[in-house]
Amino acid sequence: MHANAKGFVAFALVPAFFFLGAFYVYPFVFNLDISATDLDIFQLRDGGRWIGLENYIELLTSPGFRRVMFNTVIWLTVVGVTVRIVLGLALAFLLDSRTIRAWRLSTLTRILLIVPWATPPVVAIVVWRWILDPRVGAANQFLMWLGFIDQPIPFLADANWVWPSIILIITWNTLPLVTLTFMASLQSLPGELVEAAEIDGASRTQLLRYIYLPHLKPAIIVMAMMSTFWTFNNFIYVWLTTGAGPGTFTNVMATEIYIKGFIDGRLGYSAAAGVVMAMIMTAFGMIYLRYVAARALVEEEDR
Amino acid sequence: MNRTPSASVQFATLAVTAFALAFLIYPTAWVFIASLKTPDTMFSATRWSMTLENYTRLFAAGFGHNVLNSLVLCIGAVLLSTFVSVNAAYAFSRFRFRGRGTLFATVMLGQTFPWIILVTPVFILFARAGMLNNWGSMLFVYVAISIPFSVYLLVGYLRAVPRSLDEAAIMDGASYFQVVWRIVFPIMFPGIVATATYAFLLCWSEYLFSVALLTQEEMKTMPLALYIYFGENVTDWGNVMAGSALTTLPTLLLFLPLQRYMVSGLAAGSVKQ
Repeated sequence: MHANAKGFVAFALVPAFFFLGAFYVYPFVFNLDISATDLDIFQLRDGGRWIGLENYIELLTSPGFRRVMFNTVIWLTVVGVTVRIVLGLALAFLLDSRTIRAWRLSTLTRILLIVPWATPPVVAIVVWRWILDPRVGAANQFLMWLGFIDQPIPFLADANWVWPSIILIITWNTLPLVTLTFMASLQSLPGELVEAAEIDGASRTQLLRYIYLPHLKPAIIVMAMMSTFWTFNNFIYVWLTTGAGPGTFTNVMATEIYIKGFIDGRLGYSAAAGVVMAMIMTAFGMIYLRYVAARALVEEEDR
Repeated sequence: MNRTPSASVQFATLAVTAFALAFLIYPTAWVFIASLKTPDTMFSATRWSMTLENYTRLFAAGFGHNVLNSLVLCIGAVLLSTFVSVNAAYAFSRFRFRGRGTLFATVMLGQTFPWIILVTPVFILFARAGMLNNWGSMLFVYVAISIPFSVYLLVGYLRAVPRSLDEAAIMDGASYFQVVWRIVFPIMFPGIVATATYAFLLCWSEYLFSVALLTQEEMKTMPLALYIYFGENVTDWGNVMAGSALTTLPTLLLFLPLQRYMVSGLAAGSVKQ
């Protein structure tokens, strides 16, 4: 490589890696160090006492940790991501259908579809907390007006309703991105392929199974992976909707770390929970790297 | 061949679409409508009485200050992060150098890294350095959180810029820096704006770091202020809705014209060419 080019690469990468090193790597290593101490918020400056793996042992054997893992993995990740992928696919097929195109509604539906995505999560949470409010919320008023219920449901305080409600809020806020990505993938499918299959007498199920789904597969995998790390890592959806409640019923990894560190002031213990979370996410990150990120550079080299 | 579906299929499709879109739009539309309603008609679907009083009350309570904090901080962070990310993405996209794959993987792993883990150590480090309630530290945090995603998106957009263009400019004696900012920048401008919009939204709605690192009232950003109004014993819904409307308006205005570019950037890894 040209000396000039070497100089540019250094100039271009040093600032980016300064931020990454100073923000991700250094604090993470520091976090490892804190996780082996009993540091609390009142002795910030002196540092805590070295207690080895005690925080980790306490964390992994605590009864609350099981629920935290269950909530994070099953509710947020498995249910949350599946709902988004399935509804995203359904909506993409709907908005890309011949009817919508025949009525020339594509542009309008696309613009309207953007709205939830452009709504900042904090606002989404505020407005949904109002909609789901038992006293003044529209959801209860509407259901009572329809005659489905005769008592308002406290959606965010009732153990039966609280997780579906959180999933509803996350889905509402993030569905447009998933749908638009699937629509982009559908539009890159050559029309002749579908027409040829139709002429050959393929049924709708066959079209879906042998043409649409194989074509959409890369988009589905990418969106499933991105949604997974976006929700697994997310803090505010659960924290600002229920505050991990009722009780600790909706506590997840992110809220557990926050509560232990900033409410209870046990920074050492919170750091240990953070290390466990980072390990889970790194394992997942490796899969993501292999599938998505590697492609970004590899496709570049093919040219 | 482009068969038009039967009338009943068309009707069903339109009905389901209308229902789905109404469901998607209702909450945001309601924020704007409710922000203009008087307290006694706020929760009524049938009675309407419009006023700008919610907004005047919000600004009288000092919300203008929070808006300004968020605007200055986010615009600053977006400009800095875009500058850093465009250079880095160009280097990754156009040069072969030792450690390229590993370094790129490191940037990408930043995308999957849970920020919640960093709040505790960053808080302690800033507290020890006396950098809590400091614009410089917030700017640093916001640039750092937006770099991984920005670089990923920009590498995708750069693929659409023909290499022959920058190679020709190098032949003519331009420096790489000039090539990036005089040749590539204008060509991929829509992509850069889309990336900057993502970075802006990230910063604009960021709650976690600001709640931990900004404790002084006059330094709080919009999402923090919004939640303070919301968290009071008796929520003043007029205030909250007006604040929510003001928080949503800029992102809505940015997203509508840019959605095509934003989706194409995100889908780059997933749509076969």
